[in-house]
Amino acid sequence: MKKLALPDDILMQIDKPARYIGNEFNSVKKNPADVDIRFAMCFPDVYEVGMSHLGIAILYDMLNKREDTYCERVYSPWPDLHNLMKERNIPLFALESQDAIKDFDFIGMTLQYEMCYTNILQILDLAGVALESKDRENDDPIVIVGGPCATNPEPIADFIDIAYVGEGETSYPALLDLYKEHKKNGFDRMAFLREATKIPGIYVPAFYQVTYKESDGTIESFGPIYDDVPSVIERQVVKDMDSSTYPTKMLIPFVRAIQDRVVLEIQRGCIRGCRFCQAGMIYRPNREKSVDILKEQAKELLAATGHEEISLSSLSSSDYHALGELMDFLIDDCLSEGVNVSLPSLRIDAFSLDVMSKVQDVRKSSITFAPEAGSQRMRNVINKGLTVEDIIGGATLAFKGGWNKVKFYFMLGLPTETDDDMRAIPQLANEVAAAYYDTVPKEQRQGRCQITISTSFFVPKPFTPFQWAPMYEAGEYLRRAKIVNDEMKAQLNQKSLKYNWHHSDVTVLEGVFARGDRRLCPAILDAYKSGCFFDAWGEYFDFDKWLAAFEKNNISIDYYAYRQRDLDEILPWDFINCHVTKDFLKREWNNAMNAKVTPNCKMNCNGCGAGIIGSGVCHNAR
Amino acid sequence: MRVRVKFAKTGIMRYVGHLDLMRFFQKAVKRSNLPIRYSEGFNPHQIMSFAAPLGVGLTSEGEYMDIDLKESVDAATALEILNLNMVEGLEITGFKYLPDDAEKCMSAVTAASYTVTYKDPKDDACYIENIIDLKKKFFDESSAINIIKKTKKGERELDLKPLIYRFNLIIEDGLPVYDLLLSSGSTDNIKPELVIKAFHEFLGLPEFDDLSLDIHRVDMYTGDKENFVSLGDIGNDR
Repeated sequence: MKKLALPDDILMQIDKPARYIGNEFNSVKKNPADVDIRFAMCFPDVYEVGMSHLGIAILYDMLNKREDTYCERVYSPWPDLHNLMKERNIPLFALESQDAIKDFDFIGMTLQYEMCYTNILQILDLAGVALESKDRENDDPIVIVGGPCATNPEPIADFIDIAYVGEGETSYPALLDLYKEHKKNGFDRMAFLREATKIPGIYVPAFYQVTYKESDGTIESFGPIYDDVPSVIERQVVKDMDSSTYPTKMLIPFVRAIQDRVVLEIQRGCIRGCRFCQAGMIYRPNREKSVDILKEQAKELLAATGHEEISLSSLSSSDYHALGELMDFLIDDCLSEGVNVSLPSLRIDAFSLDVMSKVQDVRKSSITFAPEAGSQRMRNVINKGLTVEDIIGGATLAFKGGWNKVKFYFMLGLPTETDDDMRAIPQLANEVAAAYYDTVPKEQRQGRCQITISTSFFVPKPFTPFQWAPMYEAGEYLRRAKIVNDEMKAQLNQKSLKYNWHHSDVTVLEGVFARGDRRLCPAILDAYKSGCFFDAWGEYFDFDKWLAAFEKNNISIDYYAYRQRDLDEILPWDFINCHVTKDFLKREWNNAMNAKVTPNCKMNCNGCGAGIIGSGVCHNAR
Repeated sequence: MRVRVKFAKTGIMRYVGHLDLMRFFQKAVKRSNLPIRYSEGFNPHQIMSFAAPLGVGLTSEGEYMDIDLKESVDAATALEILNLNMVEGLEITGFKYLPDDAEKCMSAVTAASYTVTYKDPKDDACYIENIIDLKKKFFDESSAINIIKKTKKGERELDLKPLIYRFNLIIEDGLPVYDLLLSSGSTDNIKPELVIKAFHEFLGLPEFDDLSLDIHRVDMYTGDKENFVSLGDIGNDR
């Protein structure tokens, strides 16, 4: 029988013990004695969230294709288990072998959102690895992070040995080869890390020095301390999605994961250029997979997993060039009985409604729009190329097709937002409700239509045209939510409308981390030590502890979140080259201030800088 | 046509709950390409049902699931393919076509047999020298075993005796091993820990902990006291 790291009495008292036993179908079994490199791949959140992440599935498969490497998985133990592991000194283990990850060569973590930063520390703490990079010795694992938040790794610079900037498919082979070579010839941690900086996309924070201006605390200089360490890190991008590695099977968790389905990535990047969206900028250029490859992968993955649902994944599925052909194939040729298709990120038009009516129960499902802003002026500021006619027209088509539930997503606190822009949100929802009553005759209605409005608070992110924008204090966000709520109650169709909004404290904190620098590290460390973790989970988020940690370390929220940054200020992430140039971002910031729309990449090249990669939409256009 | 699949759930799979196990089997059947029948309607699901669910922490070599097939397949081949789609701790041990009038395994169950041991060889019960004699007094020579059973609605008095069809106790390597056959199913479902708890109270042992027992289900039966038939003995290979 397979051994387990946790004793029976612990497994019998914690919630969902199957999170911690491994043994999932399609998980990889290797003999650790047969490999040179042991890699613990971690998603620093609970199992059900982490098991749903496509990036890890890709890297797990890719690394395990190497005979010299055994990549295993690790997720954050839920607080119930966390406490027991601390009490009994049980070191954190990998799911496959159940071995302690302290003895591994690498601990890799993907950073999908800022609120997981304390969970990085939880992982290291439970593993028994020094929390700060400077305290780690030769035989400790190399701690490497990746994912979207690694495009500004500075707030966690002290905790990591390496930030891998960009898409994991490209530079991992070279990094692992280098590691193996160093391990063979008597491993010296610093020597390895120094050599690693010569591999594209590899950033080692310890080799860089920052100075700050005495006048206002902004960055005066940022650069490497050695001549042979690069001063600019180029974000890594897969050039050809068709030939790039993709798993032919996926793990089947026992505990139901958030994504309990096949996830098929149809393209990377987005042509749209919404000015608030980090993914839309850093994943440029938009690179599509060919439809023949996707058909093959869909078939293979359904057969290898037995999933009864397949979901197409991308930032904007409607923009995929052959969506019609792919959907026809999935519905007609590929989907045997009982298998369903789900399509997130669709633009609502006649085509998508037709597809949706084929794959879901119209009466039960809802139609989702993400206009992000209520007024046309505001939508032009954020470059969301969606008109009120698009929205009402799409909703009317949906009502004719039998739907009567519509969900809307908006953001509050966008740059230049006025009270009128806020009030436009429920007004738009009201118009949509009116369209329902105009479209659907009384005798065909199944009660009222349900229009749900959700707002989140806008957080400016690095490498977007809004990276210089100020945020607002928590109270101001709530004031804005109240304006929306009051206006909703004044609408004629208010009984058909429902409004949800988010908590604002966590938004402010997210804003501090997103554009933070390495001076935040001691505060994050103190917050963890005072009991903060699982900050992304409302029930564990404790803002007062964070405020105390900030105060102790002289961190001003005002400095990180609320101030308008100067366009010429050196930003903490300026040393990373995401291909999208700062000139382009500045141009886009100015266009935003003038509410001027910029056409999408398929209509017109706007010279963002990503063309230098020579692939995807930039290449095809030429 | 209906098929009864028999399987064992052992080792670390004891920590996987019933709902998670059902989802695992849906996917395993799909991977195996068995011609399973789906329900009608907008959200079709596989026609599949399980006999009495096994609690988390228990192991078993006598679990059953009934599935509906659109056409017949070779039983031996199907069993082999299903096993290729299992994980460590799950093994398919039977695949039989059911007669048309066979009751569904879920409602057919009337009894289940268990082997029960103590996880800790130093458990208080392991030090009682005349435990076999005491067991005779507790079970073989008693006319009733009255306990208070906690239910969702409150507490009720219950006589366990007629619901325990077999209660053997042997000493193996110096440690007590219980062999039980208990009433099971939708009406009088008696869990083995309930019986051992009552025995512990009879022995005058201090507070009883469900988790101190290793419980292994051996098989499930249909029929009545006079004639129990294993759920796995019903049906044929073709």
